Amino acid sequence: MRFMVMVKGSEESESGDQPSKENFEAMIKFNERLAAEGRIVLAEGLTTSSEAVRVWFDGDAEPRVTDGPFAETKELVAGVWILNGESLQDVVELMLQCPNPENSGGVLEIRALDS
Amino acid sequence: MRFMVIVKASEQSEGGQSPSAELLADMGKFNEELVKAGVMLAGEGLRPSSEGARIVFSPDVEPSVVDGPFAETKELVGGFWILQGRNKEEIVEWIKRMPNTDGAHHQVEIRRIAEASDFENLTPELAAREDRLRRQVEGQA
Repeated sequence: MRFMVMVKGSEESESGDQPSKENFEAMIKFNERLAAEGRIVLAEGLTTSSEAVRVWFDGDAEPRVTDGPFAETKELVAGVWILNGESLQDVVELMLQCPNPENSGGVLEIRALDS
Repeated sequence: MRFMVIVKASEQSEGGQSPSAELLADMGKFNEELVKAGVMLAGEGLRPSSEGARIVFSPDVEPSVVDGPFAETKELVGGFWILQGRNKEEIVEWIKRMPNTDGAHHQVEIRRIAEASDFENLTPELAAREDRLRRQVEGQA
C-alpha cells in the first residue's frame, strides 16, 4: 500500500524562514534511511502559501482565482512524502522516528492512497 | 517549475462515496491531456481521513498519535497532482478546466514545489546528498 505523509503548516513553515543546516541534515539522514528501505515514492517540500493561489469552483460558473497567503496556517501543507507501507500502523511507527519537522513542534498527517 | 495541486476534500470524498462513472471518465480524459502536454508528473486520490492518523510532535515529549477521521472536511486533502509548467499562470489555466462533473470540489490549491536553489542553508555537501537520494528514489521507481 502507499500512503501520503503531509507535514502540516505552521507559523514556522509559513514564515519563509529557512530550515537550519542541522535540520536539513537530520531530515536528509532520515530520508536516506527511508530510501535504503525502499520506502520513498516521492518526497517534496512546498514553498509558502504567499506564492500560492486557490481556484474556487461553484457549479457551472467560471472558476474564481484568489491569491495567497492563506490564513489557516495549521491546515496548510508544508511538505509531503509518498511512502510504501504495509499498513497505516506500519507507517505511523516509521514516522514516529521522523525528526521533529519544526523546532517548536509539528504535525504529520498520514493518509492512505486509493489503490 | 513544479507545482503541487491540492484538491480539497468534500463531504462525498470524506464519506467514502466513490466519484460517479461520468466524473471518472472525464477525469481520465483530463489526465490524458495533461500527460500528452508533458504537464503531469503524478496524480493520486486519497482515502477518507477515517483511514488516516496524525502524529503530533512537541519539544521534549514523546510524539503522540491521533486517529482520524478529522473534522475540518474542507481543509483536508482529497487528492493531488504534481504538475510541471513554465509558470503558475499556466497551471492555473489547466486547473480552471478540470472536470467538476459531480460538483464536489469547491477549492483547489496550487503550491510551488521548493527546489534546491530555494535554500541558502543547503550546503553543497547536503545538496549532493539530496541529489543522490533523488536519483536513488527515481531508480527504484
